[in-house]
Amino acid sequence: MNRRNRILLSCVYWAFVAYVFVPLILMVLMGFKDSKFIGFPIRSYTLDWYMGVFEDAETISAFLYSVAIAVLSTIGSIIVGTWIAVLLEGRKFWGRAVIFGMTILPALIPGIISAIAFRIYARYLGIEPGMGAIVWAHAVHNVPFVVLVVMARLSTLPKSQIEAARDLGADPLIAFLRITFPYLVPAIMGASIFCLLLSFDDFVRSFFLGGYEPTLPVLIFAKLKSGMSPEINAIATAALLLTAVIGVWAERFTRRMNKDS
Amino acid sequence: MSYDASARAARGTVPASDATFWGRLAGWGPYRAMASFTTASPRRQFIVLAVFPILWVLTQHLGPMVQMLRVSLTDAYPVAPGVEQHLTIEHYLKFFQDPLFWQPFFRTLIFAGVFTFCTLILTYPVAYFLARHVSPKNRMLLLLLLLIPFWVGEIVRTYAIMILLGNTGAVNLVLKWFGLIDRPIPFMYTSFSMGVGIVYLTALYMLLPLYSALEKLPKSLNEAAADLGAGAWTRFRRVTLPLTIEGISSGCTLVFLISTGFYATPVLLGGPSTTVFAETIAGFFHVAGTQWPTGAAFAIIMFLAALCITAAFQRLMTMLRKGDKT
Repeated sequence: MNRRNRILLSCVYWAFVAYVFVPLILMVLMGFKDSKFIGFPIRSYTLDWYMGVFEDAETISAFLYSVAIAVLSTIGSIIVGTWIAVLLEGRKFWGRAVIFGMTILPALIPGIISAIAFRIYARYLGIEPGMGAIVWAHAVHNVPFVVLVVMARLSTLPKSQIEAARDLGADPLIAFLRITFPYLVPAIMGASIFCLLLSFDDFVRSFFLGGYEPTLPVLIFAKLKSGMSPEINAIATAALLLTAVIGVWAERFTRRMNKDS
Repeated sequence: MSYDASARAARGTVPASDATFWGRLAGWGPYRAMASFTTASPRRQFIVLAVFPILWVLTQHLGPMVQMLRVSLTDAYPVAPGVEQHLTIEHYLKFFQDPLFWQPFFRTLIFAGVFTFCTLILTYPVAYFLARHVSPKNRMLLLLLLLIPFWVGEIVRTYAIMILLGNTGAVNLVLKWFGLIDRPIPFMYTSFSMGVGIVYLTALYMLLPLYSALEKLPKSLNEAAADLGAGAWTRFRRVTLPLTIEGISSGCTLVFLISTGFYATPVLLGGPSTTVFAETIAGFFHVAGTQWPTGAAFAIIMFLAALCITAAFQRLMTMLRKGDKT
């Protein structure tokens, strides 16, 4: 009985693996198709579409634009998120629950509503649609994730170390920089990678807050609206490889860091 | 680098006090003034630490929502110079007057509910398998395998589904090979293709809470139930399911909220008969900006509706859990 269940469940698992992998594999394959039309069967293969990606100025500039936005917004999220986490973790004060709730808020607002709210607020603040607006929106949106990750790590910090540092004459800031911060580095690294990927993959905020220059997801979306072509497959595959490789590497990296310390 | 310096300082090759970066910083006049000012009392220290985060969450996290609420209540936005601004709820009333508005709204909620349920049914066995039938060593590996596709962005994965389900897509090709169909089934631009896409995008947010709930569940409980003569189905229904309700509840809440917010996926995978509210809202923001208040009002309506539904759902789940204990 148990054995039959086990086999059945493992079939479900592998079917699920197929569900999440097959579409992506097909997409990568389609980029090799030697024809302008998307669709199976693929009769002959070519590398032209993939080669084309590296020569297409529009794609490359969209890619660099996305990377720049991801890096800048991540720096913002990390600074603010760590600060909020240090305030909230292990401290009891009046209104803490309210602050925590507001901290988490951007992560809970459905995508389109958050994009619209940011669009309206950007106008209120006088930020023109474009890179600054996108960086700001991504930074705000990613703060909750940083706070949660850093708080989790902070809760395991041995308090005695801080006390020892204070006893030896370090003021709170130096104690933070020399004890707490190094201890938080694995969490901050993990959170940074997560923020980078969230920002790089984000469509809806970039779409509503962007100016004329598209980020990579916005460019792919615009191209898709005017029709499918293997060229899009090649661009999407490049984005896919980058994000998946960074994601897997980060996963392993944070695991190792957490094990070491 | 500072560690090297302090190591050297410890060996006594250089004067200890101001040799390191930190020592120099601590001895630096302006820094010392700042430090003694900010840490004069625990109260002041707390204020210095707290002011920035509190201002940030108020202005950056809450601010956009408040401003959206304000815009939704004004009669015209942006305000023309010299014209007086009036408070009004006309934009909210507009919602009820036209089926073009409230139909997508209810469609969105129903779709989100159905897709959430589908995600739950699909991922529960997967989470169950990982947590109960796999050795802890392989568990991480099998879980990581599932995480890989979820690092890939929304647009790219939506496009992958388009290729899968298109008229010349993989599914139709396979069906034709097996001789099940003569001409392709039009999967695309229907609620079905939208469902496949949205479940694909949200599955992880369901899988992880379910997995962590199932992993926490002690095996002994199931064994005890089996010793008392409970069959597999009874064990699942009376032990496993009630004890993982928390995971189910948080997974469903997350997935529901996320799936009401999709914009690009319905645009690319849906058709004219599956317009969701996100597209309706977005429509008000494409034009120069005179219709922003209406769009803001609609966004508020949707946010409140989604919040109410998830709150009611969580309430129901808590009641179920409590009811089972007594």
